[in-house]
Amino acid sequence: MDTVSSRTREAPLVMLLLTLVPSIAVAVRVADALWLAAGAVLVMTGSSVARAILDGARPAGTPETGTPAADGPGEEDRTARWLRALVISSLLTAAFEAGLLAVAPAASAALGIYAPLLAVNLLVAGKGGPDPSGASPLRATLSSLRNGAWFAGGLVAIALAREVLGAGTITLFPVSGFGGTITLSPLLDQPVRALGFAGGGLLCLGYLVAAVRAVLARKGSAAPRAEASR
Amino acid sequence: MSTSRMAWLASLSLLPAAAWGIVLFGLPALIVLVVSIASAAAAEAAATLPRGKVTLGDGSAFFTGLLVALLMPAGVPAYVPAAASAFGILVVKQSFGGLGRNWMNPAMGGVVFALLSWPGLLSQWAAPLGSAAANAAVPPLEALRAALAAPGPRDATPLAVLARAGYGFSGLDSAAVGWVNSHVLAPLGTRLQPGTLDVLIGHVAGGIGSTCAPLLLAGAAFLLTFGVIRWHLPVFYIGTFGLLAFVFGGLGTGQGWLAGGPLFQVLSGSLVLAAFYAAPDPVTSPLMNTGKCILGAALGVLTFFLRFFGSLGDGVAAAIVLGNCISPLLDRWMERRKVQELGQGVA
Repeated sequence: MDTVSSRTREAPLVMLLLTLVPSIAVAVRVADALWLAAGAVLVMTGSSVARAILDGARPAGTPETGTPAADGPGEEDRTARWLRALVISSLLTAAFEAGLLAVAPAASAALGIYAPLLAVNLLVAGKGGPDPSGASPLRATLSSLRNGAWFAGGLVAIALAREVLGAGTITLFPVSGFGGTITLSPLLDQPVRALGFAGGGLLCLGYLVAAVRAVLARKGSAAPRAEASR
Repeated sequence: MSTSRMAWLASLSLLPAAAWGIVLFGLPALIVLVVSIASAAAAEAAATLPRGKVTLGDGSAFFTGLLVALLMPAGVPAYVPAAASAFGILVVKQSFGGLGRNWMNPAMGGVVFALLSWPGLLSQWAAPLGSAAANAAVPPLEALRAALAAPGPRDATPLAVLARAGYGFSGLDSAAVGWVNSHVLAPLGTRLQPGTLDVLIGHVAGGIGSTCAPLLLAGAAFLLTFGVIRWHLPVFYIGTFGLLAFVFGGLGTGQGWLAGGPLFQVLSGSLVLAAFYAAPDPVTSPLMNTGKCILGAALGVLTFFLRFFGSLGDGVAAAIVLGNCISPLLDRWMERRKVQELGQGVA
């Protein structure tokens, strides 16, 4: 049994509701986006490493639940993998939430429900689920760090655009002599409030996705040209 | 008729209203007009230049900038109309592929963006020329809301409510209305309310080009004559809104049923401007006449609810943006019905 079928995972509305909306809701202040990004990287990397280690602990080809594994993992094996991924992701999310509450209670309050939703979101997005490739712990770690960096970069870019234009501030973390907030006086007086709304977040996300696609498309069209010129 | 010709004719028909706005509000109105149009043109050029096809000549950017400016208060900081026009062109129009592919009216999208971003600045209106009263910079619609919110006796009409509240109508209005009342209407046993002339000719606070209904209606007649727009959508829009304002408009203010002052409600705010110049946009309104009638009625209902119960200005821009969302659905529905009818005819 597949806990989250690929059809469900690819449904735009499900993806939008479970993965994008919480991210957009949080990406209003840079500090909150950084905390959520840190949580996402922790959960993704931690669960990948844990799963890679657990998968590697079994002798190769041994079916996990007694189901013959002639054509890859059986139905029960997949279910067990999903349940294991769910438990690991949930544990890591709980650890992140508890740590955040202890270290930064204000950020914990700002993230609210979105911090515990992290596990579900990552599973639905396919980033916290079982790794079918059976990669080594090192490769799984690097892969998760790369995914996490993309997620963090996107989230922080959206938050930065929204906070700078929508509030005229950049909220970071207070350190000695620095209050944690940079104010941009012309925008602080009359910010573009529309960007603070959910619609503004989706707008920023849309342009970010378009920019990434444009860069990838340019790279894609540049590669054959380079190949042809050789 | 080409799209370019339609856009330039629509712009031409709006020039009298724009000129009246400059007369009424002076240099600040001219600045808003210039900044808004320049910003729309610059945004259009910036978006189309990299594609190697600059579309400034089609007039659509000029029209968008003009329409945005006419809906703005005179004296609003220049960055507000500039941002609204640029948003309309870059985000609403060019991001979806340019003219003909936008699903929302660019000018209305820009105005709603500005309303959401700077609601305080867009509610600071300028007093019209020759009005020295303290409350002359408050549009009649907002003055009516404030007067009805205060405790006290209720008058039968909006203008009577405003007169009791001491709203500052012009000297020309009191002279003209007094003359008509004493020389024409007194023998007939009736009389005009103070403020009738000011509201009718748009000598009140409001958007730069949205207050003068006669000039806007003359421009609309020009567009109808040249076949740029059809009558269905504006008539159903204004008719439905007027009907709802008449029947229910007085309920929330304690004036009872059938006491909403429909003419005052139609002439106040930007309803006439938007009904003839934004709602019938051929790109964002239904193709068939039945669809136009349905959308017009829907816009009337939306505007009524947004104006009487909402907080986004006079509700017109937000209603049109919401109406643009259902326009493709109406087209699809009408198309399906047409195919079914044809199928039945063949059978």
